[in-house]
Amino acid sequence: MTKEKVLSVQNLRKVYSGKVPFVAVDDISFDLHRGEILGLLGSNGAGKTTTIQMLLSTLKATSGSIFYFGKDFFTHRSEVLEQVAFASTYVSLPWMLTVEQNLEVFGRLYGLSAEERRKRMDAFLERFGIISKKKDKVSQLSAGQITRLMLVKAFMMRPKIVLLDEPTASLDPDIAEEVVQFVLEERKINGTAILYTSHNMAEVAEVCDRVLFLQKGKIIADDVPERLAKSVATCRVQLLVGDGLKRTVAVAEKLKLPYKLDHRTVEFQLDEAQIANLLMALAQAGVLYTNINIMHPTLEDYFLHMAGVGRRS
Amino acid sequence: MNWGRIWAVFLRYYYFFAKPDSMADLFFWPALDIFLWGMTSVWIQHTEQEFPKLAIAILTGLVFWQIVWRSNYEIAVNMLQEFWNRNLVNLFSTPLKLSEWIVAMMLYGIFKIIVTIVFGAFVVWGLYSLNIFNMGWSFLPFCVSLILSGWLIGFLSAAIMVNYGQRLQILAWMTAYIFAPFSAIFYPMSALPSWGQLIAKALPMTYIFEGMRLVLYEKTFSMEMLLTSLGLNIFYLALMMLFFRWMFEKSREKGLARLE
Repeated sequence: MTKEKVLSVQNLRKVYSGKVPFVAVDDISFDLHRGEILGLLGSNGAGKTTTIQMLLSTLKATSGSIFYFGKDFFTHRSEVLEQVAFASTYVSLPWMLTVEQNLEVFGRLYGLSAEERRKRMDAFLERFGIISKKKDKVSQLSAGQITRLMLVKAFMMRPKIVLLDEPTASLDPDIAEEVVQFVLEERKINGTAILYTSHNMAEVAEVCDRVLFLQKGKIIADDVPERLAKSVATCRVQLLVGDGLKRTVAVAEKLKLPYKLDHRTVEFQLDEAQIANLLMALAQAGVLYTNINIMHPTLEDYFLHMAGVGRRS
Repeated sequence: MNWGRIWAVFLRYYYFFAKPDSMADLFFWPALDIFLWGMTSVWIQHTEQEFPKLAIAILTGLVFWQIVWRSNYEIAVNMLQEFWNRNLVNLFSTPLKLSEWIVAMMLYGIFKIIVTIVFGAFVVWGLYSLNIFNMGWSFLPFCVSLILSGWLIGFLSAAIMVNYGQRLQILAWMTAYIFAPFSAIFYPMSALPSWGQLIAKALPMTYIFEGMRLVLYEKTFSMEMLLTSLGLNIFYLALMMLFFRWMFEKSREKGLARLE
């Protein structure tokens, strides 16, 4: 992956005025590079959508700066947005217009030629499995089909950057997985940089190269998903013990490992490096187990941990 | 200013053109107005012989009020369409500039006004055997001025709605009628009480309708009336554009997404 910087956000801040001013985004800075998929995570109200809206200019920042391709977004808005597309589950398209009419309008807004519009429209509608809906009004589409149409709208412009706000929220798992694969392909083939928000942590871990975790408008972590997960959680090893339950507990206490006992199932919490030692100690103690399940820390563990910390604070 | 993007926005509204809602706005309501008021005028003409030109004056007022109403409506309701369709963020997250959206609205408004006028004139001719274009081509400059009046009212409503949202969407239909009693559409300005005349004098529509009645009754084209109306229209329209842009920017401070 090259390190060409396509988006640079510096000290971005959004304060909603009112009797009690509300700080929605608090002095955040980050960069997005060509071909990078950057996840934006956080609980509801953390500032993800506010950030995306500012990156699209549909919400004015209180202070800070946004540079796309080295150009100041506030003074080159229109020029910059020719290379930036957006799709969200939470917006729609004119529902009395057909799929084709909507895509034609947006294709024209992004300056695509008639030939480009026709070719790309068909190719992307086919790719997302809604080519048969081309002549249908948006009002006739299901929520999942509208979400896919929004993705067609975003990607058929061949943008250099795509901002995706919960792109798979209303999709069935199989279609969501197709969307994830599509996003990865687009990045690989065209070097598209993507800013990605989702509540599906497994999906974020699969898609994103790097994750920003927002809490109360601030970035509290910026790292690759695996490291974030490991930063707050250890592995869990679950054993279904056939013979030697008391010896299993004794091993756990000897190794000073936290454990939970549920009938004949014992769950240990430990670092990945300790797993071999544990299994060896159990074998030496003559413990027989019929099932073993090793669970690595996930981004969801991190999310739950940080969300809990956020609520407590 | 990018004409490709302006054409894209024009098409976005044009594709809605053949839908039942749009058809009702274009044909049903103007025809209903013309029929109801036309019948009333015919009845007045038959009972009050001393006012032989009253019928055509009222009908002309009706048809030409449609120009104000229509050009106002196109701006205000087309903006509401974006709220209702949750498409505002989509639209303004593209390279589209606000000025381009405004120009597209105006062009689309002109297109629909032409359709409405032609249709209205045919209905009047068919129902009452009256040719509202009898006043000759002198009505054209007044039409241009009426379109400007409609736009300034439309931008006034749109400016308020873009900042305060859908809770004030009634303004799209109401604002023009706030000005109607003072615009001398069916009666001369002199019929108004003195405080009403003060308001009427400040409105460009007053000079247009007064001027059109002069053409009808006295076959006189008043350049003074036309220029006064055009001057006031251009002045107010420039103010309203600035007001609209200012309110749009204020709305952006709160976020366009909240309007959907």
